[in-house]
Amino acid sequence: MTARRMQRRIETAKRLFSHPGALLSGAFLLLTLLLAFLAPWVLPIDPLLQDVSASLEPPSARYWFGADELGRDLLARVIYGARTSLITAAGAVAIAACIGIPIGLVAGFFGGWRDAVLMRIIDVLLALPGILFAMAMIAVLGRSQLAALVAVGITGVPSFARITRAQVLSLRQRDFVLAVEALGGSSAYTMFKTVLPNSWSPILVQVVVLSSVAILLEAALSFLGVGIPPPTPSWGDLLRTGKSFLYEAPTYAVLPGIALTLTILSLDTLGRTLATVLEDRREIAGASSEGSGR
Amino acid sequence: MTGYIVRRLLQLLPVLLLASLGIWAMIYAVPGGPVASIVGENANPEQIREVTQRLGLDRPVLVQYWAWLTSALTGDLGASLHAREPVLHLIMQRVPATLQLGFCATLVGLLLGIPVAIASAIWPGSWIDRTLSGWSALALGVPTFWLGILLILLFSVELRWLPSASAYVSFFDSPLQALRNTAMPALTLGTYVSGIFARFLRASLLSELKADYVRTARSKGLPERDVVGRHVMRNALLPFVTIVGLMLANFIGGTVVTEAVFTYPGLGRLLIQAIGSRDYPLIQGCILFILVIYVLMNLLVDVLYAYIDPRIEYR
Repeated sequence: MTARRMQRRIETAKRLFSHPGALLSGAFLLLTLLLAFLAPWVLPIDPLLQDVSASLEPPSARYWFGADELGRDLLARVIYGARTSLITAAGAVAIAACIGIPIGLVAGFFGGWRDAVLMRIIDVLLALPGILFAMAMIAVLGRSQLAALVAVGITGVPSFARITRAQVLSLRQRDFVLAVEALGGSSAYTMFKTVLPNSWSPILVQVVVLSSVAILLEAALSFLGVGIPPPTPSWGDLLRTGKSFLYEAPTYAVLPGIALTLTILSLDTLGRTLATVLEDRREIAGASSEGSGR
Repeated sequence: MTGYIVRRLLQLLPVLLLASLGIWAMIYAVPGGPVASIVGENANPEQIREVTQRLGLDRPVLVQYWAWLTSALTGDLGASLHAREPVLHLIMQRVPATLQLGFCATLVGLLLGIPVAIASAIWPGSWIDRTLSGWSALALGVPTFWLGILLILLFSVELRWLPSASAYVSFFDSPLQALRNTAMPALTLGTYVSGIFARFLRASLLSELKADYVRTARSKGLPERDVVGRHVMRNALLPFVTIVGLMLANFIGGTVVTEAVFTYPGLGRLLIQAIGSRDYPLIQGCILFILVIYVLMNLLVDVLYAYIDPRIEYR
């Protein structure tokens, strides 16, 4: 990485976190990440330890979030649930990006029959609302954490494919791309070394936005009872069980929901602020290249 | 126009074929294949042979797909393994409930979303706009199943006004009971949709407000109320129609989560129950049904849009 590119990234990050909403969201996400992954070493709590005498206990000094029906510490289950959510979301977004970006790249770069075939396949993925597509996949794969991850990931493929394709189409006929081709750059070289590096901005925004979608989708699947199987703690499953005890322990279903909502809102805010910051940067860059007599 | 519709339908054909192939193949991808999914994993060879023959599973795969597809096209989606009833019959029983919820939720979404969009588009950047944009973000960010739980806690557990489990009562039979049962699910789903509506209409209004005709209208002294109410709204509502239509299409299957929160007996709950009991013909039937409606609704919205906006070229 060149020093100039590094500097530009720092610049973008600075601009991003000068927005108070983005700063707050970033701080919350960082805290969630740290808690979720350092919990086993840092916090003296166990999400699986049962104490039946504490069953459905309301929030107290010992159990800050109360205890669930088996007397397990709900705070611990919410924190370990964050771990499940974040891992599933990261895996799903990685799958979506690894399949979607190459599809969009090839479709947009070559056009013609490759474009037609690939985009029809994407249309098939879009022929059902995302959650139903994921449910259908889980019906086949069986219920497991991996199945949830893969199902959520596949539903994210179309958005990466479309965004990458649109970006490639806008770059395809630009002088610098034609120049690389004229100089004898192979298709693969031109695609991956010339077009892709100039397409990262909208893809990066998509990564953030899709993380929030993936977390929501995974939670929804677990809430429906087809996502991550128990006893692994997950936010969706906590809400599902909590819903059965609304009269006995109202906080049971409320507190995990707050964690879930704040995470989704933070990612969404971060994504939208990032989009505006990158948009502004491109406008500035566009203006300067206009000035250089393009 | 007719040519455009025909072309779009032809474009849909490969998508529908590929999707139906996927749905049909589902049952073969299940461990043990279609036979195990019907007779269970501990069946004796007799039973397996009997089912294999009865379902024609000893025929070539393509013949099997063709037979499945042609009977599906005539509305024969097979029989449910558990209810022992035709799948289409079970689906049709649930459709009115889902439609009623979908329409009510759209109504709530419009009632909440349109005023929010207008207020924030008239004063862009003001504190009103910022507050309302925050509201839209909240409406979109709060998971519907959690919002539903909060509503149950308030209206059923605390106030005891509404039932925590919603039954399906048609508005045509008993309007009051229907309202009691549909209010919370519709509010839950409607709040979410209002966020989409508000964001979209705001953007659409803002871009219209920059148009030349707005400047003309203002400079000839037309009151702002008429500029927005008469001229801008008409043009801004045009693209908005598509979003409302797409939402309705989404609701054919997209009420799954809300139905689960309120144990509302719609199509989505039927699908969840089918997945829970591994009732594969029912799963396939539900998904195929939702898919066809969803795809056709999307097409209808496109066509409607092209019809009401003469500037769109039919290509």
